[in-house]
Amino acid sequence: MAGTAGGSERHSRVAPYLLIAPGILWLLVFFVVPLITLAQTSVRVTGEAWWDGYVRALSNYGTQFSRSFGYSLLATLIALGLGYPLAYFIAFRSGKFKNLLLGLVILPFFTTFLVRTFAWKTILNDGGPAAWLLRQLHLLSEGGRLLDTTLAVVGGLTYNFLPFMILPIYVSLEKIDRRLVEAAEDLYSTPLGAFRKVVLPLSLPGVFAGSLLTFIPAAGDFINAQLLGSPNQQMIGTVIQNQFLEVRDYPLASALSFVLMVVITIGVLAYARVLGTEELA
Amino acid sequence: MSRRDADQWDEELHEFLRQAINRRGFLARTALGAGSLALGGSFLASCKGKEAAPAAGTPEAAAGGSSGGKVLRISNWPLYIDKQTVPDFEKATGIKVQYTEDINDNGEFFAKIEEPLKRNQSIDRDIVVLTDWMAGRMIRLGYVAPLDDSKFPNRANVVDNVKDVGFDNGRKYSVPWVSGMTGVGYNPKKTGKELTSINDIFDPKFKGKVTMLTEMRDTFGLVMLGMGKDPAKATKADVEAAAAKIKKARQSGQIRKFTGNDYAEDLAAGNIAIAFAWSGDIQGLRADNPDLQWLAPKEGAMLYSDNMMIPKTSDRQDLAMAWINYVYDPKHSAQIVAGAPYLSAVKGAGAELAKIAPELASSPLVNPPDDLRARLHIFRDLNDQEETEFNRIFQDAIGA
Repeated sequence: MAGTAGGSERHSRVAPYLLIAPGILWLLVFFVVPLITLAQTSVRVTGEAWWDGYVRALSNYGTQFSRSFGYSLLATLIALGLGYPLAYFIAFRSGKFKNLLLGLVILPFFTTFLVRTFAWKTILNDGGPAAWLLRQLHLLSEGGRLLDTTLAVVGGLTYNFLPFMILPIYVSLEKIDRRLVEAAEDLYSTPLGAFRKVVLPLSLPGVFAGSLLTFIPAAGDFINAQLLGSPNQQMIGTVIQNQFLEVRDYPLASALSFVLMVVITIGVLAYARVLGTEELA
Repeated sequence: MSRRDADQWDEELHEFLRQAINRRGFLARTALGAGSLALGGSFLASCKGKEAAPAAGTPEAAAGGSSGGKVLRISNWPLYIDKQTVPDFEKATGIKVQYTEDINDNGEFFAKIEEPLKRNQSIDRDIVVLTDWMAGRMIRLGYVAPLDDSKFPNRANVVDNVKDVGFDNGRKYSVPWVSGMTGVGYNPKKTGKELTSINDIFDPKFKGKVTMLTEMRDTFGLVMLGMGKDPAKATKADVEAAAAKIKKARQSGQIRKFTGNDYAEDLAAGNIAIAFAWSGDIQGLRADNPDLQWLAPKEGAMLYSDNMMIPKTSDRQDLAMAWINYVYDPKHSAQIVAGAPYLSAVKGAGAELAKIAPELASSPLVNPPDDLRARLHIFRDLNDQEETEFNRIFQDAIGA
């Protein structure tokens, strides 16, 4: 029994990966090719040693790097916490409302990212509804604020990338053969046991993709930090944007991007290993 | 969401969009980011990296040069002109004008036109309007054609304080489109008092309620004035001292943000009490927020100009000169600033403005009295090496 179960498990574990392969491929193409251009630009330093950009990138921007990873990790975890139950509900329990709910998940994309994030500015305003409510509940001091805080930035990142978490998980869950769950229950598994041993492992590829789709753009994002954060919440994306467009220090900006990409790549590989998806990642 | 909230939201969104396309181009920068957002900052960076490489495409072909040879192509900042001047000019001269509001950010615009100019190719524009320091860079790099004085009889109308500038001795290559002042914008309801000094922005009472500008010269200049230093003679030591002060205030949480012209929205919403602010913005905001004040602090305020220049590769320089001469007529200049509340750099425009828009002409924001004009400072012209050096110091100070 162990043998045959292992075989079919193995087979069905591969299928979801094939489904997300185009996505992974897309990431690879847009990850590796720019890497070369970036590497070239990053060493094109005039007047100083070629590694000057890297020296400055690593010595001056540690805070912004750690903020970026800290914030996006937090946002990814919160998005997972919010997104998994929602995806589960939509996939298994929503009945005829399934399409409506999926539509609602995607609905925010009908407005631009910028306007959506800006809407948060209005909501979190010092005199806005959220701050007013929290003040009434004595959760926020009279002089306290929501806007331009770490909370606002992490909240904004979570909000903006949440659909990228929900959709891949939903797809994984949707693909699961319900008869497997029924089989588990027939074999006297508790509902929780069936979830833990059947549904969760089969949905891991979605979790994997979802967390990447959330974490990677969040780590490089600069809009949320710029609109919802103070100068003490600026992330590495803000620095890169600023160095490219304002200061026009291309070697530094490229070095920063390159470092960011390398760190993200290493992180992704490590994560893939932990989740046991190294064949594809 | 109640009806009132919905209305308010709608109104604020509207206000945002209005602000967003305003002078210092907040939207353009952020929208660019938003476009590449799904790819993350690292990918945005890589795209821009390509742009830096000489091989990458500049919008040469996209702009599409018209062959008639009689169309004058002007690039300017958004909301920087009234509606009547272009048709009036066309009628008066018979020259067709293609007026484009496609300059949102000095650096960004420069990045767009740099490559073709370097290769001596047309940028399909006959007049561009850039801020002093960027105008200086363009001139230094030899990208600008000299103004033909034989076609510029109105040159005598250039106001005295911008007649000669460090970056363009004798104004051979550039003349101001309009000027603006950078000072302190504030909401008296939030500050609880009238302000007089730049250093009020460092008052711990306003912790987390103040913003400064991401424009290096404006922020350094004002902080230096507050420290009793002259921005026209800025040394590295001055700049470092100002940077240290800014950095300390940022780290302590005194400064809530460094902004482009999005400070206006925060000021109107009451999130902040004091901001380093551009005069034209505050004039514009007052329509909806009559409380807001713009202060030229006792220590002084910064003066900047956005300057018209003819790219050296323009093949219609005589048309461009006709335009420059036309807008240097005080009557025409008054009409322009009546539509865009900045400072005219044309002698006699104040008197003309009084005839067509008396209430505006009496505003010091549009028509500063002499004692205010005397307190206006221009940041020293920097060479490329200083520019880089000062900028690094500044970016470190603002934490970006």
